[in-house]
Amino acid sequence: MFVLAVIYENCTGCHLCELACSFKHHGVFDLSLSRITILTKPEIQTSVQVYCLQCQDAACERVCPVDAISRDKNGAYIINYDRCIGCRECAYACPFGAISFEVEARPIKCDLCEGEPECVAVCPHGAIVYMEEKKAVRELKKAKATGVAYGLYGGKETSEHPRKKAEEAVEYLLELVKKSGELDV
Amino acid sequence: MSISSERNGGDILIIDLTREKVVKREVSSETVKRYLGGRGFNSKALFDMIPGRIDPLSPENVLALGNGTFAGTALPMTSRLHISTLSPLSGILGDGNAGGEFSAMLKFAGYEQIIVTGRAQKPKYVFIEDDEVEIRDAEELWGLTTGETVEWLRDEHGDEVSVAGIGPAGENLVRFATTMVDKYHSGARGSGAVWGSKNLKAIAVIGTKGVEPADPERFYEMAKEDIEYFNRNEFVKRIYSVIGTHYGLIQWYPSWKYFQVPLSAEELPIGLRPQDLAEYEVGRTQCFSCPLACKDVYYLPSTGEYGTASEFESIYALGSNNCVTDTEAILRMEHMADEYGMDVMTLGDTIALARLLHEKGILSGEDVKGVSLEWGDAEGQIQLIEMTAYRKGFGNKLAEGYRNFAKLYGEEALAYCYDVKGVNRGWYEVDFINGIFTLSHATSTRGADHLRGRSWAYWENDKLMDIEAVKGMLKAGLPDYRKDPVGALIYGERACTLADSLGRCKGSINSWLQAVPLVWKYPVFKGTAMLLTAFTGIEFTEKDVIDATDRIYLTEIAFNVKQGIKKKHYDVKFPPEFAATERAKAQVRRHWELVDEYLERRGCDVETAYPGRETLEELGIGYVADEIEGKQFPEWDGPVREVA
Repeated sequence: MFVLAVIYENCTGCHLCELACSFKHHGVFDLSLSRITILTKPEIQTSVQVYCLQCQDAACERVCPVDAISRDKNGAYIINYDRCIGCRECAYACPFGAISFEVEARPIKCDLCEGEPECVAVCPHGAIVYMEEKKAVRELKKAKATGVAYGLYGGKETSEHPRKKAEEAVEYLLELVKKSGELDV
Repeated sequence: MSISSERNGGDILIIDLTREKVVKREVSSETVKRYLGGRGFNSKALFDMIPGRIDPLSPENVLALGNGTFAGTALPMTSRLHISTLSPLSGILGDGNAGGEFSAMLKFAGYEQIIVTGRAQKPKYVFIEDDEVEIRDAEELWGLTTGETVEWLRDEHGDEVSVAGIGPAGENLVRFATTMVDKYHSGARGSGAVWGSKNLKAIAVIGTKGVEPADPERFYEMAKEDIEYFNRNEFVKRIYSVIGTHYGLIQWYPSWKYFQVPLSAEELPIGLRPQDLAEYEVGRTQCFSCPLACKDVYYLPSTGEYGTASEFESIYALGSNNCVTDTEAILRMEHMADEYGMDVMTLGDTIALARLLHEKGILSGEDVKGVSLEWGDAEGQIQLIEMTAYRKGFGNKLAEGYRNFAKLYGEEALAYCYDVKGVNRGWYEVDFINGIFTLSHATSTRGADHLRGRSWAYWENDKLMDIEAVKGMLKAGLPDYRKDPVGALIYGERACTLADSLGRCKGSINSWLQAVPLVWKYPVFKGTAMLLTAFTGIEFTEKDVIDATDRIYLTEIAFNVKQGIKKKHYDVKFPPEFAATERAKAQVRRHWELVDEYLERRGCDVETAYPGRETLEELGIGYVADEIEGKQFPEWDGPVREVA
């Protein structure tokens, strides 16, 4: 089974996923029509990603009075708009705030884009992944370990990690500079 | 509700602070085709609305904020806000370009541009929530730093608000005060003082609409290609997203001791290397819709503050050029400049000039009593920065900014002032990069500048990013600077004018690949023409794009003509010791040859540097010629000051 996972340590809050999502579903760039929401304090790297976790036992599915929500082959909870009465119960029940309602209360939520999530395709920093469960778990673990190295969870103290990354970047840069000198354009 | 991209999306908002009136005006398709958006809209507005030489700090000055054609879309890096005004620093066109989220929010609220005129009786701020626009009291906000201002407005209007505004430096009319967006994104050339002179503290915006391209599928397909290009570029992934513009410390020769030594990678002192700065890094961030994350988030242990974006320019201007190598002190100064709302480059260069004048004995006595002007004194510099923001003591003089500051000490001091048209960018030999540096500083329409075409003219950074793309551009007709420096610079200026008008970022990598969308696939401006057609529904050819940038550039040159700019102001400055040498004199001659060729190829008069009627009429702006042709304007000598 594939899962959509967000590695929050990698998210820099650029909002490209929201623009891509709203476009894919509505043909328009509109943050309020995106199924994924990135709440940012733009100036610092603190973003909170609000998105559907496709729960095993989903509150939205349980509370829907007309059984309009069901799971598809990709594991995504899909709203059947032929049945939906627009009561918004699903949105209120979701513990993550992952269901929005559009004009006239039509609820919208992540449908995993039929197995090809658009947000994943555009994310620049690998913060949104869509992969086989075991792999996703490993990616999450790696990100947490990097987060610890970065000092993300340990308060305000900075760490050695960015310095090492910067040293590698400088090394690669000097290599590139050398190479570009040899090339005659 | 979404905004159709027909007519570029939104309206123009005109705010008259004297009468406290707000008017909305539609944008015509023709205006979009001719001026694109952002800087194009702003430069036209300034030319049309500012009659001639006025005091930039008088109510007659105009403050224009334009968000660029593609703001709010998934075309990456298109969230730049362009801020234009008659500069209180230089007395000519003064525009700056800032990131953050404001530009996208403004688009989502339904606006392409905000034009502010007049002067409010008391401090005000403007609150925009989609169609609602209110001018509100800002007496509680006056005196707050930029960070405090943003927090105050978030408390009042909610976290989703995005803010452009000023800090204490703008209120105190420091001539290089900046417009600050979302606390940390700065637009330079003194627009902050213009906000201050108008009693305008901030504009806060919430936009909730969407943007719908005319041909959505086509537009998105191309936007996504551009995103994916940056997402897989090795230079971006391994260097740019890791150290941002700090890579310039290795590559761009930061100046040491007031432009006396350009430092190579080997000469870079400990404290100023990218890895030293990384020690303070706690994360990375970027502007709306940008995949690069060029900005570091840093933590200052000594004050407990967080800041962002310690860019190359702040490190050279506040650090190496003043011989300061204490990493944390430099970051602290950068953060102070953000909080007070001042341009780091003019701030750092003015202080470095003061140190030099002090060393030479030109600056002494009462003025500098109790002030430390020793090279490398970080604590002293922190004090000077605070004094400048509040115009206290000697800070009152520094606050005049670079050339205006030097002027206070006469010709002897001006000899060490390496400005063009009142703006500082250091000095370079004409032989350097085949004349590109000195020529580009001379021809920039906002005074000496590195972001008006310079790096583009010789593909400085594109070489490292993607050499194949450079070959593609040359094949498509981009002039090669080694054979044709003037042609190369004109193309560079077009690229920058275009980026500023589309709302696209050009400032972090300074490359074609970043500034001009899809240039790697459809060189040189074909990709832009395709995107504009898909987005606006107006047919654009590559020639239409080039014409639009030339129309904007010549309008700017004409604006400066009305401010008294003559041909002699396209000069090159050298330190007096070097200027006296034969080598320098030969270089000056070469410079003027290049200027002549430039003026001719731009369609300007080679004697007067006025844009020619024929060229202007070809571009469909004969009215610009009507305003300047045959007219004499009093010669420029810095900003005009009204008699108190």
